[in-house]
Amino acid sequence: MTSARFPLLIGVFVLATALVFLALGPVQAAGTGYIFVSTEKGNEVVVFDQDMNLVKRIETSRRPRDIYFNADKTLLYVACGDDDAIDVIDVATLEVIDTIPTGPSPEVFAFSPDEKLIYVSNEEDSRLEAIDMETRVSIQDVPTGAEPEGVLVMPDGKTAYVTSEVADMVHVVDTATGAVTKNILVGTRPRRFILTPDGSELWVSCELSSEIYIIDTATNEIKGDSLIFVPPGFREEDVTPVGMAITRDGSKVLLSLGRANHVAVIDAKSYEVLDYVLVGRRAWSVDLSRDESKAYVANGLSDDVTIVDMATLKPIKSVPVGRVPHSVVIDD
Amino acid sequence: MTKLRAVHKSRSLLAGLLPLAASLLWSGAVISAEVSVGYLGLTDDPRYLADVTYARIELNPAGDPVSAAKMGLADLEMVTAAVDKTLSLDHRTAADAAGLVAAVKEMAAAGEQFIILDLPAPLTDEVASATRDLGVTLINGTAPDDFLRNRCHPNLLHAAASDRMEADALVQYLRTRNWTKVLMLVGPETRDKEMAAAFRLSAERQRINLVDEREFTLLADPANRDANNTLLITGGVDYDLVYVADSQGEFARYLPYSTQLPRPVIGSTGLVASEWHWGLERYGAPQVSSRFAEFTPDRRMTGQDWSVWMAAKAIATAYAKARSDEPAKIDAYLRGNRLKLDGSKGVQMNFRPWDGQMRMPVVLTTHNSVIAIAPLEGYLHQNNTLDTLGTDEPEHKCQ
Repeated sequence: MTSARFPLLIGVFVLATALVFLALGPVQAAGTGYIFVSTEKGNEVVVFDQDMNLVKRIETSRRPRDIYFNADKTLLYVACGDDDAIDVIDVATLEVIDTIPTGPSPEVFAFSPDEKLIYVSNEEDSRLEAIDMETRVSIQDVPTGAEPEGVLVMPDGKTAYVTSEVADMVHVVDTATGAVTKNILVGTRPRRFILTPDGSELWVSCELSSEIYIIDTATNEIKGDSLIFVPPGFREEDVTPVGMAITRDGSKVLLSLGRANHVAVIDAKSYEVLDYVLVGRRAWSVDLSRDESKAYVANGLSDDVTIVDMATLKPIKSVPVGRVPHSVVIDD
Repeated sequence: MTKLRAVHKSRSLLAGLLPLAASLLWSGAVISAEVSVGYLGLTDDPRYLADVTYARIELNPAGDPVSAAKMGLADLEMVTAAVDKTLSLDHRTAADAAGLVAAVKEMAAAGEQFIILDLPAPLTDEVASATRDLGVTLINGTAPDDFLRNRCHPNLLHAAASDRMEADALVQYLRTRNWTKVLMLVGPETRDKEMAAAFRLSAERQRINLVDEREFTLLADPANRDANNTLLITGGVDYDLVYVADSQGEFARYLPYSTQLPRPVIGSTGLVASEWHWGLERYGAPQVSSRFAEFTPDRRMTGQDWSVWMAAKAIATAYAKARSDEPAKIDAYLRGNRLKLDGSKGVQMNFRPWDGQMRMPVVLTTHNSVIAIAPLEGYLHQNNTLDTLGTDEPEHKCQ
């Protein structure tokens, strides 16, 4: 009797697991489901499960900011500004297993498509450097305007973009030579990028002029007028946009509005705002879950993360995280 | 780790030369227009004398802020290069009003369109009066006196915060804390009286009760003890705190913990309002302070440095973003609401059309920290919340 029942149970379990995996994502195997948040003043990456229960606080080098997974999501890289290093966390064990030295005060970074290089903005010495992941040697060191921040490498790996917060411009870098091939003047204090899935539009958030500039990546010219999103009851100058996320189909952009304490959900084709979602204070980094049912917003002044239901565009809840949350990524 | 780091740095230095050379070649492809920006200071400015700066309070400059102007131009070098302009600073000093006016005339004749002034208010006033028809815009970098704003010189803008803005910032803080009973102590100097007058207006606007106003003296003779003894001058009346207006700082620095009642001291010591403080941690402020340290290693960045830095940034931004080479259009851009300056205080800033004053948040600081940034939360304004600080348009009168 028992011997007949057990295989059946196991069979049901396997089937159920497979269904869950299918539901989560057909292309990649599902990860841990964990949500990772870097806290600039907590010197840790805080890990939550899908229900936002605390899993672990991983101590990192000082001032962890931008965080990214490698392509297969086995490793999490953390730029740590005050220790001039990028920490590497093993996603399976949730331990820091390695540290890559960088120039002074790394803030934001991006990988080359083959993951052989990390492009990192060093805000204290105004450079974009490319670090060879294997040898740990800086192979390119591109001078930028003061306080470089957002970094984006095109999918073909030939061009990198970096913002300078002080110089109000986007530098276009030829990755083969490390030379700046163009400077694109944008609004005041440009911060971050997103690239539309078809690679045609590069969106730049300009924190202090409250604008989004869209760069046509084919010509590296500004496309149309800058966009401004002001939630009801706010003034333009209250809006300090920083973080962005885009859905995989390229239909919607989520834009954090900083001091306006909202996230704008934008139709990426018509540039019309669909809704404003109230989140925490000084909302910055935004990430979407893989099934795009939830968005996670790091609030730097209220030290919490707000989870937004993407179907209803309503905040579900805000969860305290630690001192000055900077970036959120999800391993699902 | 240390060894690895050393390798990393030396290699990165070599690697850095190539793109630098490449970018130099690239920018050299077009001929840059040379633009000279004026900077005018006072020879042997008494505000920078060593014996004054020794006893200095946060309200006074800690040193000549000219390096902050250089930093402002350097910060925006790439932006101005993008429109093929190279800005350099023409730093001059003169010993008196006649010399200063002559210098402005020479600078204007040399084609300079903007001049940053680092002068005490009376000289700023004289220079602005005498040069108003030269077509040059002067930017007051270091004089907080309100009367300069009320003079309405069409050729004068102000990057330094006014006394009234700083008083309003303090009073907003008192109001939000409900510390409404204030004992005011005022020194004998003109600047002391100006600061006190600004605080009085601000207190009146926000219904702060000045329970008494008393003039202190540094004369130590017993006949003056009511005015020179910290216990006596703070006695006989109840108050939530003491506001002291002391531009020299010699009295104020000995006042905290010396009052009759155990109350905090604000104004020229204790909680001090300023354009800037090195302890500001947000909005990219630490990077600004570290860049300043590269230009001026011997001291920390002060409010005066910030204002001069912002004046230079405003000028460079106007040259870069006005989309015109016509002086009138560049000037209009500098004065207009398209100017959105980043001063690393988290908001965009520009100049008020009615008195030429730069709108800005004001930091409230102790000797080593930023306690609050005004406008404080809850202060609203029909146009711009920054206009809750300083003389607002309806109450502004030219005098």
